[in-house]
Amino acid sequence: MQSGIIRSILLAVTLSASGTPLLAHHSFSAEYDDTKPIRVTGVITKVEWQNPHVWFYVDVKGEDGKITNYAFSGGAPGQLMRRGIMKSALIIGSTITVDGFKAKDGSTNGYGAKVTFPDGRMVFTSNQGEQEKH
Amino acid sequence: MKKMLRYVSLSSLIIVSAALAFAPAGSAQSGAAPAGKGSFSIPRTPDGKPDFTGIYQWPTYMPGDQRGKSSATTFDPKYFAPLKPGGEAFLEPRTGDMRHDEPRDFCMPAGLTAGMLSANAMQFFQTKNYLTIVHEFQRMSRIIPLDGRPFRKDIEPTYYGDSVGHWEGDALVIVSTNFKRWMLDDYYYTDPKQYRMHSEALTTTERLEWKDKDTISYLLTIDDPKIFTKPWSQLFQIKAKPEWDKVGLYEYVCEENNRCPGGKCQGN
Repeated sequence: MQSGIIRSILLAVTLSASGTPLLAHHSFSAEYDDTKPIRVTGVITKVEWQNPHVWFYVDVKGEDGKITNYAFSGGAPGQLMRRGIMKSALIIGSTITVDGFKAKDGSTNGYGAKVTFPDGRMVFTSNQGEQEKH
Repeated sequence: MKKMLRYVSLSSLIIVSAALAFAPAGSAQSGAAPAGKGSFSIPRTPDGKPDFTGIYQWPTYMPGDQRGKSSATTFDPKYFAPLKPGGEAFLEPRTGDMRHDEPRDFCMPAGLTAGMLSANAMQFFQTKNYLTIVHEFQRMSRIIPLDGRPFRKDIEPTYYGDSVGHWEGDALVIVSTNFKRWMLDDYYYTDPKQYRMHSEALTTTERLEWKDKDTISYLLTIDDPKIFTKPWSQLFQIKAKPEWDKVGLYEYVCEENNRCPGGKCQGN
């Protein structure tokens, strides 16, 4: 567990240092803007733990009280699975903070690189860790 | 195209099933030599050939080689042979048409050599007469005869080509030909102005050799006489990952929830 946390911290440093994630397939560069990082906190409303990339959806309450549903894509299930990140990492109804990158089209789609839970635990939902780990 | 994709998926299932049926009881990794470089001995099949059966990371860079921006491994241009006149098409720009720029957005296959270099686990099953490579990305399945047979004749070019393998001492050499013109690697994500394609004249040679108990050296030679003045090679390493065997490879059905068809990602 401790080594996992340390690894997560190291990965977080790596992510911050590089500023951009290693790009996944399916057109990250076409769809997402690696110069527009986004951080939102909200409640998970839906999880699609499917190929070719996982997607998870988060209800985020704005300053005006309005709820907006954000859709984040991440790595492939197999990539995440071998890093010990299983479907149970994202539970509908739980509150998370997502660090990712905005869609270029201005929509509420995004690339979810990192998820942080209220207790400080982090998981990387991008495929970044697959390469950084080795 | 749907019909073709269904065919690919069904074929993959059959191939994987066949591979599992033919897989030897033992594994190269479970039977690998004891730790320590000095005491390393190559794992071998009952007939004395080096045994590559096992689960592996995709081919990764050697120290000092240029890395691409993609999570997949890409070629370092320092190894390229000079281009032939007219070979500039190899570096053709993106067109904005995703069917050209990134056909995988439509769940089309990566092909060789991009498929082998994709950032997913892969598993090898070796018998006397075949090496079967199952790569998690798109469930790429390659059945490579090792029995000395020639290439198949009079068949349509394919994304992964036609492969045969032979032994050169303890090296397994896999030669592949009869490709469709298709992407060479994932460079698309590194330089938006360049896009690496190979021609239909491509022949690839993959040379696999055990280097230590955790590492196979993977020398990939690109011979594309329509593009390059001569063949060129880049050395990669394939790391054994026996710990991945606990969860194994995961299903990869791209069509299941492809929310980015044509590069247009859309949740909900």
